[in-house]
Amino acid sequence: MLLLQIESIADALNSSEWVFPIAECFHIAAFAWSIGLIAAVDYKLLGFGIQHSKPSEVLHDTAPWTLLGLAVVLLSGPLLFLSDTRMYLHNPSFVFKMYALAAAILFNYTIHRKVAQSDSSSQAVRTVVAVVSLALWISVVFGGLFIAFA
Amino acid sequence: MLLSFAQWIQFTTMFTALRGSANVYPIVLSLHMIGIAFFGGMILMTDLRLLGLALRNRSIADVVNQFRVPKRWGLLLTATCGILLAGSKAEEYYYNAFFRTKLILFAVVIVTELVFYRSVYANPEVLDRTPSVPVNAKLAAAISMLLWTSIACCGRGIGYIEPPLDKIHAQIHLRQDCALRAWRGPYSLKGQDHQDVASTN
Repeated sequence: MLLLQIESIADALNSSEWVFPIAECFHIAAFAWSIGLIAAVDYKLLGFGIQHSKPSEVLHDTAPWTLLGLAVVLLSGPLLFLSDTRMYLHNPSFVFKMYALAAAILFNYTIHRKVAQSDSSSQAVRTVVAVVSLALWISVVFGGLFIAFA
Repeated sequence: MLLSFAQWIQFTTMFTALRGSANVYPIVLSLHMIGIAFFGGMILMTDLRLLGLALRNRSIADVVNQFRVPKRWGLLLTATCGILLAGSKAEEYYYNAFFRTKLILFAVVIVTELVFYRSVYANPEVLDRTPSVPVNAKLAAAISMLLWTSIACCGRGIGYIEPPLDKIHAQIHLRQDCALRAWRGPYSLKGQDHQDVASTN
């Protein structure tokens, strides 16, 4: 029954040749936005590029827009997925991407957020957190792109 | 002339190797996307500040200057990878309407940067002294957002155009598997029905 429903969603998505590319454009623009803003916080934590502000300020400035970007990513992504669920589920890059994404989001809203909010954390902690954050999000992008090359 | 340049450059040793490589090509493509994220996120933030839509409690100078250096690194990464990607498929891209549009949009970006650089980006401190953001700064930001979003979408569009195989001299590895769908777009574009997609799985 669920399978039938997914099939009919896929048919609807595939009925127009424009739905997939447009959803993809939203997906790309929004991931660039949200990951770019998370990277801005990471740059600050690493201590280069962004002057005249504390990590907590950069986080505070960017957080609502990061969330908006992530919301668009998480709305357009499932549309792409539903257009061909079987292909994606059998695609190792896609599976990797989903794990990396879950880890990246979890990390971003727990440890990353906590360290960025505290202006007193040591540079060693900041560096490690920024490097892990960048590595996680870069993994997500790599996973996404390799879906087409798996 | 442009076509013969495209043919020459794609057959240089480096680009031939890149085109034929199973792993390096997608890695360069991934790095191109990561550069877009680092560059695009910050350019959008700068533009939103100029438009007065975000970070209004921070001065324009702060926002513009803050993102300037990371933005340039992002642009450098994106452009380097972009040139590598374009060079390795130069002849195919020569015929690609989205690629051509993208190049034209880059030319427009350069022109608008030249037009607005002195009045907006070079001295953002001046913009903070006026009670509201000057119209030309808002215009620059709106044009920037529109252009960069269009460039990103054109970039994605490149992959949706089938190369004119009869005109292309480089060997193109046509993929038969379903994963290609994510790269070239839905199979329905090519007139196949859903059954074909399912059976190749």
